[in-house]
Amino acid sequence: MDERTLVELLKQGDETAFREMVETWQDMVYNTALGIVQVPSDAEDIAQEVFVQVYQSVSSFKGDSKFSTWLYRITITKSLDHERRKKRKKRFAFVKSLFGEDSEVLVHPPDFNHPGVQLDKKEDAAILFEAIRGLPQNQRIAFTLHKVEGLSYQEVSDVMKTSISSVESLMHRAKTNLRKILENHYKSR
Amino acid sequence: MNERHDIEQRIGRALESLDGMKRAQPAPWFYTRLRARLERDEPVTVWEHIGSFLSRPAVVVAGLCVILVANVTILLKQPAAATIGPNTVAQSETVVESESLIASSSSFDYENFAP
Repeated sequence: MDERTLVELLKQGDETAFREMVETWQDMVYNTALGIVQVPSDAEDIAQEVFVQVYQSVSSFKGDSKFSTWLYRITITKSLDHERRKKRKKRFAFVKSLFGEDSEVLVHPPDFNHPGVQLDKKEDAAILFEAIRGLPQNQRIAFTLHKVEGLSYQEVSDVMKTSISSVESLMHRAKTNLRKILENHYKSR
Repeated sequence: MNERHDIEQRIGRALESLDGMKRAQPAPWFYTRLRARLERDEPVTVWEHIGSFLSRPAVVVAGLCVILVANVTILLKQPAAATIGPNTVAQSETVVESESLIASSSSFDYENFAP
């Protein structure tokens, strides 16, 4: 089934088309969310939210971009929203703990092991993922889309609604910053 | 010198560690869990949207403030409007007179004229 037909069927509320769409893109959505939030249970939750939104608002998809590009945008927005919510909760829990109230301070798991990384690179990748968390938002998104999802600069620029030269610049700055973060990490060990 | 070289190597290894990685997959039965969620999260109607908007604390407080300001404004303006001058009294007397005039000239009064 081609993309246009699929979108038309989705707009008509076709159940089979929805199932096919989910099965086609669930790995892409989950992997992108996982690359950003770095917690499998959160990534699953975000992936579900993405498809719920697609189900409810597919009529707003105009077809100006590829369907997958639209899905990437929703996934990134949901992932960043999720992170903001989590940070807010963390701050709130911290304030509550200052007032002596019993509350569990949310801590990010120290080591994230992406299941798709080759076995002999797992340790280095865990350190790199930790360093990625320290990047500014746009650099983190560009780096994740390119390295974790394997998108080309052109595709990254489509998703981020920016030019290819901007993506190149974001990637260059991301790598420079990652070098600094990693250097500090290895020096402190 | 050696340490510096070692760190550079480690950084290079870390930066290349994502090369050739595969996509992560969600746990099995993702679609089943998604369907269950879709059935749980029924789409909200327009009235529910309006209701949730009106029940927001900010909207409630703003509404109460508007009512309070309107009441205070009316109260402050009321004494001036309620002042009854001599013209008002004269006007009301004229109205009473004209009403009695109409009443006295009704057909009932002419037909049942009592001497």
